[in-house]
Amino acid sequence: MIEVEHLTKRYGQRTAVQDVSFRVGRGEVVGFLGPNGAGKSTTLRMVTGFLAPSGGTIRIDGIDALAHPVEAKRRIGYMPEASPLYPEMRAREYLRYRAELKGVPRSKIASSVERALEQASVVEAGDRILGQLSKGTRQRVGLADALVADPPILVLDEPTAGLDPNQIRQVRDLVRALAGHKTVLVSTHILPEVEATCGRVVIIHRGRVVREGAPGALRTSVTGGTSLLLEGRGRPEAFQAALAGVPGIDAVEALDAVSDVHVRARVTGRDGVDLAEAVFLACAAAGLPLRELRPERAASLEEVFERLTTDEANLLDAPSGSPPDRGSSDDGADDASGTQEES
Amino acid sequence: MRAAWTIAKREIVSFFVSPLAYVVLAVWVVAMGFQFYLLSAFAASQPFGSGSATDTPLKHFFGGTTLFWLCVLVFVPLLTMRLLAEESRNGTLEPLLTAPVSEVSVVLGKYAAAVVFWVSMFVPTLMYAWLTSRFGDVDPGALGATYLGVFGLGLSWMAVGLLMSAIARSPIVAALLTFVALGGHFMLGLGQFIFTDDTSREVFGYFSVWTHLDAFATGVVDSRYLTWDLSLTALALFLAVRALEARRYES
Repeated sequence: MIEVEHLTKRYGQRTAVQDVSFRVGRGEVVGFLGPNGAGKSTTLRMVTGFLAPSGGTIRIDGIDALAHPVEAKRRIGYMPEASPLYPEMRAREYLRYRAELKGVPRSKIASSVERALEQASVVEAGDRILGQLSKGTRQRVGLADALVADPPILVLDEPTAGLDPNQIRQVRDLVRALAGHKTVLVSTHILPEVEATCGRVVIIHRGRVVREGAPGALRTSVTGGTSLLLEGRGRPEAFQAALAGVPGIDAVEALDAVSDVHVRARVTGRDGVDLAEAVFLACAAAGLPLRELRPERAASLEEVFERLTTDEANLLDAPSGSPPDRGSSDDGADDASGTQEES
Repeated sequence: MRAAWTIAKREIVSFFVSPLAYVVLAVWVVAMGFQFYLLSAFAASQPFGSGSATDTPLKHFFGGTTLFWLCVLVFVPLLTMRLLAEESRNGTLEPLLTAPVSEVSVVLGKYAAAVVFWVSMFVPTLMYAWLTSRFGDVDPGALGATYLGVFGLGLSWMAVGLLMSAIARSPIVAALLTFVALGGHFMLGLGQFIFTDDTSREVFGYFSVWTHLDAFATGVVDSRYLTWDLSLTALALFLAVRALEARRYES
């Protein structure tokens, strides 16, 4: 379990992370989402003890990570961004070293290394020199490192960056398989990955949490309500009439005539009501054959993300005045230009 | 402490698979061989029995020549520069410090490796003691004291090198900082030849690594010098731990 409260990180004048609070329950997989430079890596580095926060608290399984860092780190398997490795070592050798460093009992090191290699699907690269591996393979060795001591909590910083589609799928499957018995906090800016693997999403922008919730709920919270698309044979008016009596429907909107005899329409209903069956039965009763009836993906997570990280976040930021982390330079000139860009 | 041992092991293995180790060791052994040849030739050219009983090639071998100090001043930075600065440049400091290990363990582990590097430089020099013993008398007490002095020097200077490697972000900068710091320490000792009053000479003599090794080479184990070495070591290691902890507050 990870509990983060009012976490803040300042570098001189710049505020990279501001008052971030979130919680990852036991066995939960939470996606940590945000554009590049939003403060994702900084937050994860504070959670894993690599950086000291300027304010706030971090609890790892109830342990105060700032007061007892070694105890907290023992519970976390962390995969840093770009997973830096020692170029001169071989993958197995490196994982043996990491297992020993993480306190895996001597008798279990060999089996732990093999398990981690298998879980991260890099068994075939086990005897290769790390400096000669491709980025994707190095990335998976980093993942194996996070898994090698079998920690209850995993913190993965962009685990699929640099992987090909097959490898991305393998990593997704792995994270999904971990759900339930491991607590996982995974950062990414690849949205389909989040929808596929995470039970909950925390969206961070310019160092602040702008939205939190299940991917599906986030989608509807931005569009407001659910809608269906239907296509059938009949006149638009006939569909309007047939659906008028169905409870839960807010509006029926004729879109266009597909051909002489077919029409398309959008049916919008109140939030959380499943309309599909009622619409089907009403159309059947009115003798209007349907050939397509599907939920409309009104807002993809992309749209939610885009909306949250452009408009809403700008509104939130406006009163604070100081623009949070926009880059690595911290000289005055950069700050000034940042403010101008802001206004 | 198991973590410190793990870190030391990895460091030693990775050092001895790197070409740097062999270049440094080879150049060192050649330089020491050349020095031994010069000292032996010089001793052989002297009339029999002219020197005092303690004035042997071995006495001068450690710390009695500029060549020795030049080599040490260059090789200590080369041996210590990678310890932490390389991790910081490659980004491997992040996995290292997010593993369940304390900064103290990291510093002690790296330091243990550095001391092993130092000792490995001096193992080949034992051959000169053996060579000398075949043609003359070697005072085992003086020899032991000399190696103790060299070990003390290594303890403190390798600790300074480790500190610079903890401060710097790249091995080159670490090497330069170490060279400047150790060069400064060495120069400080030369103060005893510059100042004329007894107090200054004594103070600078106490700092002088040259004087230290000279004293040990005559078989005198002076606890003041060992105290100096151990104090410098403790200070440098303490600062290295703090430097590593301070990393958490940077970007």
